[in-house]
Amino acid sequence: MAKFRENLITNCEKKFIIKNLEDHTRLDGRAFDEFRELSIDFGRDWGCCYVSLGKTRVLAQVSCEIQRPKSSRLSEGILSINVELNPLGASHFESGRNSELQVVMNRILEKCVKDSRAVDMESLCIKINEKVWAFRVDINILNHEGNLLDCASIALLAALAHFRRPDVSCDGEETIVHSYAERDAIRTVIHHYPVCITYALFKEGTVVLADPTLLEEGVADASLILGINSYKEVCTLHLGGKALMDPENILKCTSKAAHRASLLVTEIKTVLKQDDERRVQGQINSFQSFKHAQGTKSLDTLTKYLDQWSVQKRKRDSKRKNTENGTVQPLGKGSAVLLPVEDDGAKSWKPSSDENESDSCS
Amino acid sequence: MEVESNVNLSMREVNCKLGMFTRPDGSVFISQGETAVIVGIYGPIEVKPHKILINKASVETHYCPKSGMPGIADKLCESILHNVCEAALASALYPRSSIVIIIQEMQNCGGIIPCAINACCLALLNAGTDMKFLFASASCGLDDEGNFHLDPDDLFLETAAASFIFVFDSIGKGLIASHTSGSFNLAQYQSALELCKKAAEGIFDFYKSTIKKDLKDKI
Repeated sequence: MAKFRENLITNCEKKFIIKNLEDHTRLDGRAFDEFRELSIDFGRDWGCCYVSLGKTRVLAQVSCEIQRPKSSRLSEGILSINVELNPLGASHFESGRNSELQVVMNRILEKCVKDSRAVDMESLCIKINEKVWAFRVDINILNHEGNLLDCASIALLAALAHFRRPDVSCDGEETIVHSYAERDAIRTVIHHYPVCITYALFKEGTVVLADPTLLEEGVADASLILGINSYKEVCTLHLGGKALMDPENILKCTSKAAHRASLLVTEIKTVLKQDDERRVQGQINSFQSFKHAQGTKSLDTLTKYLDQWSVQKRKRDSKRKNTENGTVQPLGKGSAVLLPVEDDGAKSWKPSSDENESDSCS
Repeated sequence: MEVESNVNLSMREVNCKLGMFTRPDGSVFISQGETAVIVGIYGPIEVKPHKILINKASVETHYCPKSGMPGIADKLCESILHNVCEAALASALYPRSSIVIIIQEMQNCGGIIPCAINACCLALLNAGTDMKFLFASASCGLDDEGNFHLDPDDLFLETAAASFIFVFDSIGKGLIASHTSGSFNLAQYQSALELCKKAAEGIFDFYKSTIKKDLKDKI
């Protein structure tokens, strides 16, 4: 029953992917430290967020209710994160049943957001020892094409930041909850924005791929998951699988991830701001990406990339004859620069045109 | 007829997008006004041993609410969808296999059941699963003064005296499912049926144009 309906990865696929990695190629044509395209969308309701990372799709919804606080923390609200492996995401997912993947994802997200005290829990208290707000975040996996955790963590954070809870007023013993129409809703206080960033490790930790696809995840020896906020503070570190990795490589990954995290957080903040502005203007366009995006052609992407692959390979081979591990970029007259194949975090840099001009002038 | 003067004949704007997910065999996003659902189809695929049927495919329907566990209302919606889909699918063609239909609520602003039924039909078309006929659903509400309102939203349904959901097939345009709530008389039921039948014809045209557009995009 364990492998029921599950997609298995064949030995041929494994060999093919590993062989490609030796040539510094990924099946979708990305660089090793390149991430897939991200888009964030909000629904009409507060705290409803739809995130797509490449072809992976996740829907998050925040809901709230008033509960008794936990006896260990009388003045703090409750935040529960619930990852739902929707059968829509993959045919072997079952709703309402705990699988290993679900438990692992739930725990890592809890570690990343809840245990790092990103959300101000004390502000969710209405009356000590009696009434606190309990937030519940439901994360529905809609399409599983690898790197669920990054996608889910972005959705979780964006949904929490987007959510507004109804205002309450206390009148002696009574607590009155005001509806959204009656009084302006209240934002949740978020101290810092931690996001998960996943790397897949191949060949005993020597090859590190950012944002692995489903196939790459299946072939990888191990995965390194880093929860980092925009202040470059590590909130979670999870190394799963069976690869040996030296501390130096982990530190390298961490600095790359920190760069990516700050980019992600800025992205989330801009999208939230845009949504706010739209709401102020009174237009609520829910799920815009569906209405305006071009229809995805159902062309088999793998065959598409394979067509390009043979061409790319030849090009890379000719370049590789010149140098062993990089490409030579001419820099004006009589000078050249050796560009490494992988560089740390920053986007691959190229000599600027100004430099070229000044060189040729002299 | 005197009723027709008081009828709101326009449906909310319908938007749809086919095949935006890679994992399911067929998928569709439909928004009807502010109500939106996603439907995905897997099938025919391997069947669970306890659900196996030797003469036909077993149809599994999952309705996933946006937050929380599925409640009683969600289970009711699931069973309506299950009955409609099971009637329409030519399941005898796929013995000892399973057709899985997953409905994900994206936004519920009233009328999610007819929206989900229409989405199921389009998703089954997108997946290329064999069907005996297509189906389309329309809903209408009845207010206290006896006026009909086609495709009501949640604001109208809060105060409505009755609401009707009908499902029609594409061949004889016959009624295949009817779901009502509230109080009404027989004449009102008949006129609601007529009203929804007209609206359903519009939906069949919408299917046709959507599939045509989708096929054109693929070429």
